[in-house]
Amino acid sequence: MILKVVFLLVSLFTVGSALMVVTHKNLFSSALFLVASFFGVAALYVLLEAEFLAVAQVLIYVGAIATLIIFAIMLTRGMMSGRTSPRNDQAAWAGLASVVLGLVLLYVVVFRVQWPVVEKPVPPDTIEQLGRALVGRYVVPFEVASVLLLAALVGAVLIAREKEV
Amino acid sequence: MAQAQSAVATESLPYNDVIPGAVVGRDGEALIVNREKLLELARYLRDHEGYDYLSSVTGVDNLTHPKRQGVERFEVVYHLYSTKRGGGPLVLKARAPEDDPEIPSVVSIWPGADFQEREIWDLFGVRFPGHPNLRRILLWEGFNGHPMRKDWKEAYYEEEHKPYSSRWPYGHYPREEYKYPWQEERAVYKDNLVFPKGFDPDRWQAPEVEYRLGQDIYRELEKLKTDRIIVNIGPQHPSTHGVFRMVVALEGETILGLEPEVGYLHRNHEKIGERNTYLMNIPYTDRLDYINSMSNNLGYVLAVEKLMGKVEVPERAKYLRIIMAELTRVLNHMFAIGFLLNDLGAFFTPALYALEERELILDLFEAASGSRMMCNYMRPGGVAYDVSEEWVAQAKKLVFERLPRAVDELDYYLTENEILLARTKGVGYLSPEDAIAYSTSGPVLRGSGVPYDIRKVEPYCIYDRFDFDIVTEDGGDVYARYMVRIREARESLKILRQALKDLPGGPVIGKKKYTFRIPPGEAYQRIEAPKGELGFYLVSDGTANPYRYHVRSPSFINLTALGPMCVGHKVADSVGILGSIDIVLGEVDR
Amino acid sequence: MDVLKPQIGDWWHALLQGAGLSSGWIVFLDALVITLILLGLGLTSVLFAVWLERKLAARVQDRLGPNRVGPYGLVQTVADALKLLTKEDITPDNAERLSYNLAPGLAVFAVLMLLLVIPFGPGLIGADINVGVLYLVAMGSVGIMAILMAGWSSNNKYALLGGFRAVAQLLSYEIPMILAMSVPVLFAGTMSMEKLVEQQAHGRWFGVVMPAAFFLYFLAALAENERTPFDLLEADSEIVAGYHIEYSGMKFAWFFLAFFLNTLILSAIATTLFLGGWRGPFVEQVPALGIFYFLAKSFVLVFAFMWIRATFPRLRIDQMMAFAWKVMVPTGLVLVLVAAVFVKLPVAPLVRDVLLFLVNVFILLVVAGLVGRHLRLQIKRLSEGAAVVS
Repeated sequence: MILKVVFLLVSLFTVGSALMVVTHKNLFSSALFLVASFFGVAALYVLLEAEFLAVAQVLIYVGAIATLIIFAIMLTRGMMSGRTSPRNDQAAWAGLASVVLGLVLLYVVVFRVQWPVVEKPVPPDTIEQLGRALVGRYVVPFEVASVLLLAALVGAVLIAREKEV
Repeated sequence: MAQAQSAVATESLPYNDVIPGAVVGRDGEALIVNREKLLELARYLRDHEGYDYLSSVTGVDNLTHPKRQGVERFEVVYHLYSTKRGGGPLVLKARAPEDDPEIPSVVSIWPGADFQEREIWDLFGVRFPGHPNLRRILLWEGFNGHPMRKDWKEAYYEEEHKPYSSRWPYGHYPREEYKYPWQEERAVYKDNLVFPKGFDPDRWQAPEVEYRLGQDIYRELEKLKTDRIIVNIGPQHPSTHGVFRMVVALEGETILGLEPEVGYLHRNHEKIGERNTYLMNIPYTDRLDYINSMSNNLGYVLAVEKLMGKVEVPERAKYLRIIMAELTRVLNHMFAIGFLLNDLGAFFTPALYALEERELILDLFEAASGSRMMCNYMRPGGVAYDVSEEWVAQAKKLVFERLPRAVDELDYYLTENEILLARTKGVGYLSPEDAIAYSTSGPVLRGSGVPYDIRKVEPYCIYDRFDFDIVTEDGGDVYARYMVRIREARESLKILRQALKDLPGGPVIGKKKYTFRIPPGEAYQRIEAPKGELGFYLVSDGTANPYRYHVRSPSFINLTALGPMCVGHKVADSVGILGSIDIVLGEVDR
Repeated sequence: MDVLKPQIGDWWHALLQGAGLSSGWIVFLDALVITLILLGLGLTSVLFAVWLERKLAARVQDRLGPNRVGPYGLVQTVADALKLLTKEDITPDNAERLSYNLAPGLAVFAVLMLLLVIPFGPGLIGADINVGVLYLVAMGSVGIMAILMAGWSSNNKYALLGGFRAVAQLLSYEIPMILAMSVPVLFAGTMSMEKLVEQQAHGRWFGVVMPAAFFLYFLAALAENERTPFDLLEADSEIVAGYHIEYSGMKFAWFFLAFFLNTLILSAIATTLFLGGWRGPFVEQVPALGIFYFLAKSFVLVFAFMWIRATFPRLRIDQMMAFAWKVMVPTGLVLVLVAAVFVKLPVAPLVRDVLLFLVNVFILLVVAGLVGRHLRLQIKRLSEGAAVVS
């Protein structure tokens, strides 16, 4: 019962923050709401007893990605350029498209996916299992992802160097 | 006088064979220069005669000078020296009439004239065509008139002389801002304030700052398309040694341009000096560089003595003057090093180590003069008070034992520190040529490898009796200036040891005099103050107060080089570079 | 929960059950008590740390330091804290209110959350979660967010510069810090703080076995804590106070609190990961000694932090970044690699430890030598090339 209430609250918080991200007039505040929304997702993970995922969510999304986004905003926008409208000419079409997309996704998620329901408790050594899966079953996607990141890294260095010369 | 020169007389004047018609007459030692030919002559003097160092540029308003009636009203005096030959000055005077107060700027020849010409424009209203950035420097744009002009009246004070009756008639202060709250912001003095023509305080905006750029690094950075921010570092910034503002254009953390803005402490020291008698000025000089009041006293007193002609200074006083001046130098250099480290981010530790020694030196000053910082110790013809035997013993103990150890200690702790090296080496580079061109002096000049120390090249007092070396470092960076200070402190201690050993007995001043009969004339006396070349330019018209009193302050002129030194470095470095110049705002703003 | 186990915990639970409370209430009261204990411990330590810093700096600088309020000025901090609370609270006109007011709280929150997983003594841990170390890192990054918010929302250029520097510095130094932390984690095979301490029994501290990793962590912690020589975020001689320039009174006090809590917690983490945590002689017999050992070890590190602060000038931003990316990150990677290899080395544990120690010392010496050589070369180049460059 309590868990359900907590879940509802956290979900509302997450979705609300996500809505604020797209509707808030100030870009910087939008980014901050994004952070809040990430936190909400982390809290959901905690409710699912996936501590590792929760911590990783905070570490990567809040600690790295959101920080970089905010940093980019601080660097590129005028310091307190204040309000920018989140809408433009295509707002209606984009809204429509995203609503349709969201409905489709929801449909698929709710009606098409077979969710495995297991009653047994979460094993205590999730990290170890995750680690084994990462270098065992999922080693190819893992390596592909790292190669992609490496390529991105090299590309970033290259772009940065070009300006210097 | 100048116009009356005949063609024959003109020919006998120097430099006229090279640049015909450049020099039109003499005024004492000074050469009067035709302003049309000033630039030509200046270039010739710099390139061929070796006068590469423009020590001082200052203005004189001849309006009420009894001996100069009929002369063009404004006079700009240049004191030129040669860093290669040493020796005395070549004095040039360019004159301009009242209705056309313009004299070509010599910034293109001696960039060190930059701030000084701005100061003359500010205080005298003489324009300098060709000056790259002729704005007011000490006063703000809304200031009405040019206060050093002899006919200038303080706003709403119409009488000739201070002290005033009252700034506000009958003591009524128009406090109408209660009725109109916004008036307080617009003008506190309400009608009691006059702005120059065409100046509206409501619509006034701070003038666009022009940066002296041109370095390649700037063009490099220009290509990056990021937000450029202008940061006003100051006026209330803890590490700028006082109320001093640096307008910095930043690209990220890199400095694109830096313009010092001074004048927050301006009190028109020179105008006050003209109102005081010669003796009354001595305590005012304490307030110039308030860390080194002793050497300010010395410079001023020497200038007055030069103006008085033959003044006998007792032998003991001569030694005491040297002792005080050199103690001041040790004090100042340790202070400067300590606070340079503070600027580099040390948590006050070196500064407090330096302050500890400073307190001991100040104890000596207090025992000798009665005051720790505002010493007011020197007098024309000697020093004010004698020192006791205990004083000498105490000073000996300090100079022979404690201070050398203290300097060594600072040296030992700091000089080899990797962070200090990484932060100071190659930072704020100033080439020897630039150092001379920007008229820098003192440790800044010698840190660029120019062996120029007034105590050696143009000895004053009895410095020629002592054995010491000119300290130079070739680095030209913050580290070199730091090293110069450490080593100079040691040289000063060397002088002090000799002086204390030989200190003779006898009186310290002839007859104490409170009024001076100063013959009409003019004198420029410079000394090697701890911060650099401190010059006093005095013009006497035979009355009890100086007709013109000008201070060539080392901090102010060394600041000219701050902008060029900082470009391309990081914000953090600008503070360190400022610390390495070692300014005191009391002297910069005067 | 795990706190105060086994004797006191049992007594406490028995007491609650005796009072007829349901298990939900017991969990709640447990959490409350833990929170209060942690808060009390953290805040008192901060009071002491502030006093220590002032006294220490004073001694280094040949002066007395606070000596008026209480014996040896010990209560000075309390007086200062009270004074700060009564000060006017100023919000700049154009500040972004929400983030401006949220930032100080978030800063303290991020640090206080770290207290949860630190084992202060045997069994004295808020929550022994199995991803403890990762949790520390994740929460640490939330602190960056607080600094960013403060820097941006103050509408002040110094604050903004401080914010820029914060991102650059804290993100950069987080990487070597994580690398250094992952060395003992790899070695112990667990991320649980409790188990990490258990692994360091019998004086086999990871800091002794792997001095290079410990040193790396210590340097990174200096930077993470914005302490000299890496205190560029709030460099008072450059950008005045950086991100918290506009804050006054209570809000400033919160930043101050976060700063000192951070010092303590970084030391505590170092103690747990590298110095055997609460372990020490006779701790098995008298568990209460554990707290003492833990605090003593932490404060030795805090002392080192403060000592360095009172002694050194500050690096410049580019030098600091270069140090992080060109020296510390490669060293950290090498150390992780070495640790990974040694964990799997088929030799007796003692031999492995000795070998690892030797390799660590070797790495430390090589890195120090390389850095020194580079510095000398660069300084030489700078002093020679200055004329050419400018």
